[in-house]
Amino acid sequence: MTRLFAVAVLCTSAVLLVSGGEGRPQVEVRTVEMTHVIRIPLTAVGSQETSQASGKDSAILATSPGAAEELPEGPDGFDILDDGGILISDPLRNRVVTFDSQGKLRQSWNIGFAADSIRVLPDGRALIREANTGQLHAFDREGKTIPGEVSPPLDAAQAQKLTATSGSISNGKGNSITVHLERVGQSLVSLQGLAVDNTGKLYVALESTSGELTEGINVNKTVRKYDANGNLLSETTNLPLNYYIPPVDELRVRKGKIYQLMTTSSEVEINIWDMN
Amino acid sequence: MKDIHPWPRLWASLLILYTWVSCISSSGTQTSLIARLPSTTRAEAVARAKNLAAHSWVCGVQNLHASCSRIYKSDWASGQHITGIPYNWGGVDGPDLFDQKLVRGLAAGSHSRYGVLSCTAGIDCSAFVTLCWGLPTTGHAYSTSNIRTIAGKLKANVFTDLKPGDALNKPGSHVVLFTGYNRDGTFNICEASGSAARVICHATTWSRFRGYIALQYKGIDD
Repeated sequence: MTRLFAVAVLCTSAVLLVSGGEGRPQVEVRTVEMTHVIRIPLTAVGSQETSQASGKDSAILATSPGAAEELPEGPDGFDILDDGGILISDPLRNRVVTFDSQGKLRQSWNIGFAADSIRVLPDGRALIREANTGQLHAFDREGKTIPGEVSPPLDAAQAQKLTATSGSISNGKGNSITVHLERVGQSLVSLQGLAVDNTGKLYVALESTSGELTEGINVNKTVRKYDANGNLLSETTNLPLNYYIPPVDELRVRKGKIYQLMTTSSEVEINIWDMN
Repeated sequence: MKDIHPWPRLWASLLILYTWVSCISSSGTQTSLIARLPSTTRAEAVARAKNLAAHSWVCGVQNLHASCSRIYKSDWASGQHITGIPYNWGGVDGPDLFDQKLVRGLAAGSHSRYGVLSCTAGIDCSAFVTLCWGLPTTGHAYSTSNIRTIAGKLKANVFTDLKPGDALNKPGSHVVLFTGYNRDGTFNICEASGSAARVICHATTWSRFRGYIALQYKGIDD
């Protein structure tokens, strides 16, 4: 009798282990390395050259190095067009600059204000936020202002952290999936829904930590892709997080690719992970 | 037996005595500093932060130019209505002082790229946090480098146990006031932001704060 019980316990444990303890088969998760990087040069501007001065049509973006008690300033907002083209804010020159998918200059939109966030809508309009006021302005594909009041777009998905290793997130269609962090020694810090595509696939950014170090706060960040049923399909490698200019728009998802805005002291890098 | 000279022993004794007296004195100075710090509740600290972020003002034509600088360029337009005290590198102005300076024709806000200016009004990151804690705004006594003298490092789990009114500080760089967690694990802060050109309150992520240290004001009244 005891032997039978032990066998039953062993079998149950094995099933739970294979199914991840949730009664559903474990899907093999693909780890996606950074696919490539688009590099756009950046130059430090002096006090003489800011918004009203030279560089309005340049492919080189501008940064102010900051000082003690002041963070560097410069490109901190971006979004991706359907063809892979890139829109980047250049706040010190009051413009938004568009590049093709290889990083070649397309256009310079002299919008007349410092922008810190860009959101390209499905209809092709670009909503650009004015850094100094928080006001949203709409522009067409050629960078011309579209008059009228602009409402902020709705969040892609609502997320909730449940425990130190789990959270839940809605896919915007009334369904909710559970996110589990299964990394030894790591706990979940935050989760954010980035996008839901038209097949219901959900992209989630996860921050995790092994604890605060003496050097201060330390987190890892990855992006995961889930199918509509909540199965984890793939996950990026750890994102680089050594930002020179902290991004307002850190991540974007377009056609199955993850884009990260990483501004260093010498260039703007658009890091790309192809999750397709 | 080897004869030992008395002087080295005497010097060593004096050194130990000096070190002990210094420690006592330093500890006493620190204790008296904490005793002199104004006490404030967490709710008051957050309310001050929200008040600075919600302060409305109108930029007059006289506030676009800095009389003490030829290279200064304003972040604003004449007649523009703005919400939030402007970012001013080296500035320490609370709402009342800022409004007075606007009337006197000082320029609204500035950045380090224009140098240290005496003819501009507004507040920078460390003055903002110390003002939220109720410290007086005369002079710029505390920066991100010495704010630890009035705020101790938190030993709690920063991702779950911060309380509104605590701060996240990176010495020599930037400091912000923590105001609360969100359901998704991200959090809310108020800060004097150079890139936003003013005091703002907003949600943010931890990856932006790598290397920052969580601090609790020593005058906080829990």
